[in-house]
Amino acid sequence: MEEALHRIEARGLSVDYLVQRHGSRSIKEYIVSLGSKRLLERKRILTGVDLSINAGECFGIVGRNGSGKSTLLRVLAGIVEPVEGTIITRGTLAPMLGLGVGLEPELTGIENAKLCAALMGCDRSGTQRTLENVRSFSGLSEDDLLMPVKRYSSGMMARLGFSIATANDPDILLVDEVLAVGDAGFQRKCYERIGALKRRGGTVVLVSHSLGEVQRLCDRAACMEQGRVVKTGHPHEVGVHYHGLLGIPVAP
Amino acid sequence: METVLPATRLRRAHTPLLLALAWKNVRLRYKSSLLGFVWTLLNPLLFLGIFLLIFGQAFPQVPNYAVFALTGLVFWTFFSTVSGHMLGALVENANVLKSLAVPPLAFPLGQLLAGLFNLALSFIPLAFILAWFGWRPSPAHLLIVPATALFALFISGIGLGLCALNVYFRDIGLLWSALLPAFFYLTPIAYPPELVPDRLRWVAELNPLYHFITLVRAIIVEGVVPSPYVWVTASLFAAVALGVGMTLHNLLRRGYIANY
Repeated sequence: MEEALHRIEARGLSVDYLVQRHGSRSIKEYIVSLGSKRLLERKRILTGVDLSINAGECFGIVGRNGSGKSTLLRVLAGIVEPVEGTIITRGTLAPMLGLGVGLEPELTGIENAKLCAALMGCDRSGTQRTLENVRSFSGLSEDDLLMPVKRYSSGMMARLGFSIATANDPDILLVDEVLAVGDAGFQRKCYERIGALKRRGGTVVLVSHSLGEVQRLCDRAACMEQGRVVKTGHPHEVGVHYHGLLGIPVAP
Repeated sequence: METVLPATRLRRAHTPLLLALAWKNVRLRYKSSLLGFVWTLLNPLLFLGIFLLIFGQAFPQVPNYAVFALTGLVFWTFFSTVSGHMLGALVENANVLKSLAVPPLAFPLGQLLAGLFNLALSFIPLAFILAWFGWRPSPAHLLIVPATALFALFISGIGLGLCALNVYFRDIGLLWSALLPAFFYLTPIAYPPELVPDRLRWVAELNPLYHFITLVRAIIVEGVVPSPYVWVTASLFAAVALGVGMTLHNLLRRGYIANY
């Protein structure tokens, strides 16, 4: 039964953002201009996105800045509500959409791990597993973990963040461009963990600007342009298409 | 397990999250401070000193001015700090709200819970200080629990409205910090409410804080059960504030993500 169903199914997904039209940021400006400015304007960010992603698959998303990749991940993570279309995800989900998200600079690594576990909706045993995983996987020493996070380097934050996100063996892992800051040793550990996740039938969705990373890790990929998925397929084909968009000659 | 997204409405399952956020706020407030929660009391005590020096002489009709003023000040501080913290709660956590499926409401409510915790803690030294000024505890003082709950509902309504607007207009914080002192003087905190002339009493009573301060003073200072009139007006103001705050939040929440 589980095998037949896709882990992630998006049908005709469209997303609008309500943005302030003239970038009006103050109530004074708004009142002064009342009548001439409407408060919010709809801006289409995603248009009719269809995606089916399988269990045990690593799926890459490439595209230019502002093409809607991060918004698509936010829809998958349940943060943004589509205006049209449906999105179904099956299984537990762990988003890693930014470096150091949810980390409080004044608190220690351990305190932050507990806090992030709560933010990700962990119960008591989930929090316990998060702490164990941070200790065993992150490669941060006990001293590091008792230090306020404001003194961490970006690589250390990536280590902490990745350890927290993957601690409870999510069925779906969403990764937005955050693996790049770790050192080579930790990157390899991350890749290994992504591989392990796939072998147990987990799904990884990876947004990356590094085609090399996408081609090395992903089984399939999609290229986005102006809020649409313009190409889906083997990472190499998608890479060729993406380079075509950028006007970069393709290496043979 | 099949999830039809999104998952960003506050549910009962979010209770551990609320507690974790409240605890974080409490921790952050006292992090790297030796005196701990004494700081919470420092501000009202400072004001009390000034009040005793200046106003104490001016209002001889108030029987125990120190107890009268300190009670008003502690609850005023609760109102001003919690509403201020709630105001910034969404914008300050924009990064999290853009990256994790967390209900936005959890952040302002986490601030409210932290504020309640601080208030409860400050009751302990407050009781000693009041006792020093001749105040004695009595069973009627337990009514401070429902009174504080009503006040907290009122504050959460105000705070929710403010934090929702603050996503769109970043000068809401400035506006609020300009309005707070005005409310401080409009509310009988330093002076007895009888000082307001009868023909202007209805103006004073339009101020919701007037009723909440009257409520907690009747309980703590006079040690009596407040009249039904005070309970009802306070409840009405709490209900209206909560209604307006929730309505603003629900109207504006769809645009949060693009405007944090």
